[in-house]
Amino acid sequence: MEKKKYYSCHLRTHDRKWITVMALLAHVARGCSRIPKLQLEAALSVRFQSTLSHNDTKARRARELRPRRNYLLNDEVEQHRKSLLQQSPEVEEIPVQQAEANVPRDFRHVMPEFLPDPNPLYRDRVTEKLERMDMYRRRTCIDIPEFYVGSIMAVTMADHHAPGKQSRFVGICIQRSGTGLRADFTLRNVIDGQGVEVRFDMYGASLQKIEVLKLEQRLDDELFYLRDAAQEYSTIPFDFEPVPLPKGATVPVNSTKVKLNPRPWLERWERHELKGVEDLNLPEKKYRRARQVAKPWERWDLMKRQRESINEDEEESIMKETYMETESTRRARGRQKASLKKTR
Amino acid sequence: MATVSAVTLRNALCQLQCRLTGVPQHAFGYVGLVSNYCQVRTKKQTKAQYKLEPDWFVNRKNRRQGKALTGDNEDFVQEVIGDTYRNQDSMLKEDPWPRQEYHRNTRRTGVVAIKLGVVPQWTKEGHKFFTTLLQVIDNHVIRYTPPEEFEKTSGWKPWWGQRFGSVVVGAMSSDPRNFSKAYNNLFTEAGVPPKKKLTRFLVTPDAAIQPGTPLTAMHFRAGDHVDVQAKTIDYGFQGVVKRWGMKGMPASHGVTKAHRKMGSTGGGGDKSGIWKGKKMPGHMGDKWRILKGLKIWRINTKYNVLYVQGPNIPGNTHGVVRIYDTILRYKRPAPDNHPPMPTWAEEDSQQGVELEYFDENLHVMSEASVSYSQ
Repeated sequence: MEKKKYYSCHLRTHDRKWITVMALLAHVARGCSRIPKLQLEAALSVRFQSTLSHNDTKARRARELRPRRNYLLNDEVEQHRKSLLQQSPEVEEIPVQQAEANVPRDFRHVMPEFLPDPNPLYRDRVTEKLERMDMYRRRTCIDIPEFYVGSIMAVTMADHHAPGKQSRFVGICIQRSGTGLRADFTLRNVIDGQGVEVRFDMYGASLQKIEVLKLEQRLDDELFYLRDAAQEYSTIPFDFEPVPLPKGATVPVNSTKVKLNPRPWLERWERHELKGVEDLNLPEKKYRRARQVAKPWERWDLMKRQRESINEDEEESIMKETYMETESTRRARGRQKASLKKTR
Repeated sequence: MATVSAVTLRNALCQLQCRLTGVPQHAFGYVGLVSNYCQVRTKKQTKAQYKLEPDWFVNRKNRRQGKALTGDNEDFVQEVIGDTYRNQDSMLKEDPWPRQEYHRNTRRTGVVAIKLGVVPQWTKEGHKFFTTLLQVIDNHVIRYTPPEEFEKTSGWKPWWGQRFGSVVVGAMSSDPRNFSKAYNNLFTEAGVPPKKKLTRFLVTPDAAIQPGTPLTAMHFRAGDHVDVQAKTIDYGFQGVVKRWGMKGMPASHGVTKAHRKMGSTGGGGDKSGIWKGKKMPGHMGDKWRILKGLKIWRINTKYNVLYVQGPNIPGNTHGVVRIYDTILRYKRPAPDNHPPMPTWAEEDSQQGVELEYFDENLHVMSEASVSYSQ
């Protein structure tokens, strides 16, 4: 005898009574009286399957309601990539030359975008590796020179709307941020009395040439205060001649102290511990409030430093890889490396 | 007076659904009769708080207490496990199945991948866009069920008819000691180690694929379009502002303890209380969502990574993702330029497999910068 099966998935009532197919379609028939009864019975000839679970216990329900992680951890993923049960397990080969490379101590400041974002939620070895491979390839096509915040640079990029289909922008670098292929830098200049800042993707495909006209550092990591300073500090003529550095020189530090305009400012600069600005000449209560909101203990916060950096060994291996891969491009350009001592 | 000339079962059930749930017939989603896409304002629908596992699931966890082994014994056992699976070659037991033709309505199997992260790429025009990296780790076909048998199983839905068979794909081989005997037995037909993740794809019979067949990123080609299914980030219990995007109320100007609340719950009088489906605080996320028609820009064969269009694949980093050929009609390949059937095999790449495959519109990093002609 054929076992009766009920089509039940979406039609459970509150007290979990099972409605037969006949009753279901009869219900429909009551509603739309135009369906002939014979046709309804013909429709019953198709079999239905039950989706009843006989394991519907309290324990099962509790397990389903319990929060579960729906992603794998980094360790688990690495384990699976390298597992010998895999059809082609990943074998990480580091060439001997790279493993024994002697990388200058502060190389991480020359190419800081090769170190990944330290946030552990987004870290993945393969993503970072593939991104770095793309970056090395890009560096063989275009010279991305060593520069720091405060350097004067000129960028030529492809532009549909410019004469000659390319445009050149000269400015002082006020910011350098991003990791991997998202690395970018911002150049500031004053054109016809209007301050202009342009942010460029360092690895963007439309950048045709990046020149460093004057390689130097400033006393601060970011120069946003130039927006509140006299325009003379940000004006760089478009025909600025490159200033060559003598061979083997350290990267010079430009210790100009910028005089800010009278307030209002875009930021409360007294709260920023800026070293490259002159005395701000503010009322004492501003400095008092700045001291109240300051966080001087962050300088000694080891855990914060730990969170904002990656593992030392990882950093070392990445920097070694970067040093070896970019060595040929650096040599091919015949540039003498400036000594990489960070003088601040 | 509209007359219904031929009542199909589906029509009858759809109409029944309308009656019981109050959802208008045109609003039913493609995947199932119950749609999540429109607000339901009816008295009779109940929303399940939890969803039990289907009845075909076997107990997966190994309930036996494993004995602690010494270092040497542990190494030996792992060696034995490795040898067992290396020496098993289920594909040699039978002759390889013949490869069939690709038609307009063919559906091939999909793959299971891990979401790795998001990287920017550039087109040949110099336009920047974001791609998500999806890594196909150790996929194998576990089982193929032809349509006639699939119809009799409890996982079949009536509106599929006899169009589709089912393919079970597994990802990430693991140590069999971690799983129960019942779970491990699922993999004997395929002859592969037990997999961490299993999923099912609907395939047409012309894309039937033999159990034990490995699936890699080469299953797809650069330039193909795919649908991607994944579970969204689990935000837990969230308020209405985050969950439903409600505006809340001002931070000041006399607002009393109601900065992030719902506010009104509905109309009064004849509207009789709060309607079913009212947007309220509750669990947010951890839901399967599909993104359709995503382009594959690039394939890396060393790591089996697909570069898929968009930064918005659901889920966290290292979340599991299902990928299959798109169902969108105008993004499907033409029969004369079809992807490998039923999956990539070595004979498809007689000139050798390259390390990377790029879409024709993608700017390759080793090429010169983009420049526009006069």
